[in-house]
Amino acid sequence: MVSGKKTKKTHESINNRLALVMKSGKFTLGYKTVLESLRSSKGKLIIISNNCPPLRKSEIEYYAMLAKVGVHHYNGNNVDLGTACGKYFRVSCLSIIDAGDSDIIKSLPGDS
Amino acid sequence: MVKFLKPNKAVVVLGGRFAGRKAVIVKQFDDGTRDRPYGHCLVAGISKYPKKVIRKDSAKKTAKKSRVKAFIKLVNYNHIMPTRYTLDVDLKDVVTVDALQSRDKKVTACKETKARFEERFKSGKNRWFFSKLRF
Repeated sequence: MVSGKKTKKTHESINNRLALVMKSGKFTLGYKTVLESLRSSKGKLIIISNNCPPLRKSEIEYYAMLAKVGVHHYNGNNVDLGTACGKYFRVSCLSIIDAGDSDIIKSLPGDS
Repeated sequence: MVKFLKPNKAVVVLGGRFAGRKAVIVKQFDDGTRDRPYGHCLVAGISKYPKKVIRKDSAKKTAKKSRVKAFIKLVNYNHIMPTRYTLDVDLKDVVTVDALQSRDKKVTACKETKARFEERFKSGKNRWFFSKLRF
């Protein structure tokens, strides 16, 4: 599941795709809403930061396995993920409900 | 993107008196009701697990050890942990929200659930459901 060495290029492209989703799509940030979106089967892709507590990470992965939704382990901690989302707070996990113009859902689950 | 909180799904209750107990979803209310404006479900679970039965036990002892005590409860989705297991026991006619209205209706519903759980336990299927979750 850990994809070897993530090159700078793919990392930036994930950030670009995320920025596009923030602009044009629907998403929710935060553990509670991520679980909610998984339960109601609205989430299409889950992104988890690398410093998310392991119990919480496994829980989200299990829910995603039940819901058959892809999970992407972001190569950065919650501070980085928050910045990538254009927010001034930390984001440990986020759920993309509607990707808008971005192709993040089609391109990412292949990696993780 | 698959809905997994469906009837017959086995879940673990996370809080309250029945924390750590396994239960099965009988009916779900995804959008809530007027009294409970949040997603919740009606579960029937095991309050007292059956004990371990060994070959040495007499028939009377086996009968005593295989007893199950059941409970019926309306639980918030946030307070259950879904699992990949399912339990195919038909409880829809017995376990209803109506049964929770009064004490004696609840008791009769629990007794009927207990009977169905016990026969499923004795048939040897769904072994995971009837084993205690150690934590």
